[in-house]
Amino acid sequence: MNKKNSTPSPYWRWLPGAFALAGIIVFIFATFGPPASSSGFVSTLKGALEIAFPDYVASKAHYIMIPDTGSWLFAFVLGMAIGGFVAARTFIIPVRDVPEIWEKRFGKSRAKRFAATFAGGFIILFASRLAGGCTLGLFISGSTQLAISGLYFGVLIFAIAMLTARIIYGNTGKEEQ
Amino acid sequence: MTSEIVLGLLSGIAFGFVIQRVGATNADKMAKAHLMIEAAIPKFMLMAVILSAIGLFGLQIAGIGRTQVLPTSLVATGLAGLLFGIGWGLCGYCPGTTWAAAGEGRMDAIFALIGGLAGAALFAHLHEVLIPLLYEPTNVGQITLVDWTGSTPLSILLLTVVFGGCIAVINRLWDKKDNA
Repeated sequence: MNKKNSTPSPYWRWLPGAFALAGIIVFIFATFGPPASSSGFVSTLKGALEIAFPDYVASKAHYIMIPDTGSWLFAFVLGMAIGGFVAARTFIIPVRDVPEIWEKRFGKSRAKRFAATFAGGFIILFASRLAGGCTLGLFISGSTQLAISGLYFGVLIFAIAMLTARIIYGNTGKEEQ
Repeated sequence: MTSEIVLGLLSGIAFGFVIQRVGATNADKMAKAHLMIEAAIPKFMLMAVILSAIGLFGLQIAGIGRTQVLPTSLVATGLAGLLFGIGWGLCGYCPGTTWAAAGEGRMDAIFALIGGLAGAALFAHLHEVLIPLLYEPTNVGQITLVDWTGSTPLSILLLTVVFGGCIAVINRLWDKKDNA
């Protein structure tokens, strides 16, 4: 008898995955400092804007406090894109432009999905820069250093994301069980 | 290339690879984690923090590495957490997974990346107004659990118990326990 869930998933299980990620995080603390990724967006912008608007970049506090593209921060986010590329090319499941659950809820429209992720990306980066970090730079790095800021941010982002997902998807995804 | 850039690239490649393999760059899995259907990603994140905290303590004993605690601003950190949660729930990407998912070739992540650049640019433009208005008045400084418990090992134990408790609750309440 073949049960539906008996085929092993190509995805890693959570516990070995956590050991692998923690190893990388500790390596980063040893060789650089607290890992961060939302700062990489600012580094990218700074590197680009420095060419076109050098006076503007030199006058803005947020660009003064974060290094440009010639930095660990930019190399890290670029590396993440390369890591994602290599991982996807060596993985059995093909990538999708519109996630299954989104398609089930809102249909196949790519424009609708892309508009939503543009808006979502806009909000998470605006918020991360206000807090000084994101899921990685504030929640994971912060909690690893036992920082209250990371724990406080972590509780809020999980709770609100769960609520938001519930509002957006309703019971979509539940019925396939 | 300076050593800083080589180390950053190397760390990023390893990080991006691992989060893809666990499914964190898959917005379908992230949405199902938020909807209490799939438990693997939140358990993975919490456990990674517990193990990293223990590892970082080891580094500190050996006198290696650099730490930098971000301050807590009751209003700014809190408001940012609320906004971030809305954006994360909406698109299923966070800033780090956006880069790895865009590298995978997911078109929706590329739009999240472009949106993210626009959001960061807007905040950078408004920094001089928003930081004094929202961040500084309720900034209580670089507080950590050690300020409260008085000892690093005790704080790590507390973190382990609380995050371990969260993993147990997620394991109980979410429908699918793991990626297998």
